[in-house]
Amino acid sequence: MSKIEEVKAKVEAGKSKLVPGLVQEALDAGIAPAEILQAMVDSMSVVGDKFSAGEIFVPEMLIAAKAMSKGVEVLKPLMAGDSSSSLGTCVIGTVAGDLHDIGKNLVSMMIESTGFEMVDLGVDVSADAFVEAVKNNANVKLVACSGLLTTTMPAMKEAVQTIKAAFPDLKVIVGGAPVTPEYAAEIGADGYAPDAGSASVKAKALVTV
Amino acid sequence: MLTKRQNLLETIHGGKPDRFVNQYEFLNIIMETPTGIEFRYGETWKDHWGITWQWPEGQLGMFPVHHDGLAVIQDITEWQKFVKKPEIVTSDEAWAPAVAHANAVDRNEEYVAGFFAPGIFEMTHHLMGMENALMALYEEPEAMQELIDFLLSYELEFAQVMIDKIHPDCIFHHDDWGSQLSSFVSPEMFAEFFLPAYKKIYGFYKANGVELVVHHSDSYAANLVPDMIDMGIDIWQGVMNTNNIPELIKEYGGGISFMGGIHSGLVDFPAWTPEIVAEYVEKTCRDNGKQYFIPCQTSGLPIDNFQGVYETINKEIDRMSKELF
Repeated sequence: MSKIEEVKAKVEAGKSKLVPGLVQEALDAGIAPAEILQAMVDSMSVVGDKFSAGEIFVPEMLIAAKAMSKGVEVLKPLMAGDSSSSLGTCVIGTVAGDLHDIGKNLVSMMIESTGFEMVDLGVDVSADAFVEAVKNNANVKLVACSGLLTTTMPAMKEAVQTIKAAFPDLKVIVGGAPVTPEYAAEIGADGYAPDAGSASVKAKALVTV
Repeated sequence: MLTKRQNLLETIHGGKPDRFVNQYEFLNIIMETPTGIEFRYGETWKDHWGITWQWPEGQLGMFPVHHDGLAVIQDITEWQKFVKKPEIVTSDEAWAPAVAHANAVDRNEEYVAGFFAPGIFEMTHHLMGMENALMALYEEPEAMQELIDFLLSYELEFAQVMIDKIHPDCIFHHDDWGSQLSSFVSPEMFAEFFLPAYKKIYGFYKANGVELVVHHSDSYAANLVPDMIDMGIDIWQGVMNTNNIPELIKEYGGGISFMGGIHSGLVDFPAWTPEIVAEYVEKTCRDNGKQYFIPCQTSGLPIDNFQGVYETINKEIDRMSKELF
């Protein structure tokens, strides 16, 4: 197995203690940092697909994301200033009145693994706080709004519409248990995803069209 | 006409019920049980384990919070440093309301249901946050097993007190094991960490007078049903329609019964109407049949978030009983 294939396999298997060493070995073997990063992104894409298909579960996705982040730590000093592999910044949060964070955190990890810089605003985020975060962070290409309660769907609608009013060209993706594709379209979101794996696919698709 | 209890037994044993079991009617839940759980609307507080909770005003429930160093367990390998077993209340005075309630129940008609929540799985993530708890199952399995054993010992000690005080013939136990789309952990991981603990808990109750184990998990968990049967669950309450309930009944009916199918998020929401409830109840009753199935909202107590929903579901189930029996 080539070094790059080994990195991919260990990221997918969530071997966070092994991945940094393997990434270093790949670098030592002369493989470009961008190529190694892409290999890890590809691995996480496989992980996301397997999660969406019900073949793996949340712990497997979490440890894979952690393994990748350990690998990225090795690459980061070598890629400083190289924005070619970045998809931009994604601002993410759970909408006002809602304190659920598990789904939002999983989506954040998976979107990050596709190549976004993440700005996580946490839970109970007001519409105005989303807008402020877009203003205060560089290169924001996507906003992701999460909500798990039927009672906070109006807050999601307000968040999406406030963001779109301030930044008409900015892409907004939404998700959470009560959210449907129809509801996402109705409130003016650009995208919807039913789970963390497909959220990362959709996020990338939204900013690369 | 069968009593509620007889009708329940006919339903879960594949006999001849004379109507649908109507939601929680067979369970007389002893909510006065001093579990230490508090429901403090609009407040932030610490519970008896040191877990910080918030219940925002205007919202449907309370949430454990772990940010800003609030998680009880900061490092799973040192969990003993952080987790202290709460005192289990045993005084007659503290249990008096629960005992009075239990004594007032007609056991020929209804079950005296001891209540316990949250279960082992939820406790692990309440103590340290979901991501940390789930990753620790891979990264520090021995420490997690120790923590689970510790939580199990607390549950068993509490069970002994509850049995002595109210002599329940049913236990209604909450532990959410999945999202609406999947179980949180794989069946293999569940079998390794959680099945053995639950075999001990439910085995203990059944060895001490409990005839019926009702477990609440309002989620997908079809892949865990064999383990549910193995651990002694008689009724899985909260089964969402994201599980293929008719298929589950066909495959596992007789080993376990399914209580749910009426997704609370789809009927108990701000813009609910009696017509929406009627439609879902009718579909649920027609799709899932009369044996091994109890039509019920998926939420884990006989209450509603929006006034009138629970009673409307009851009324519609009665209507379907008249129509289909």
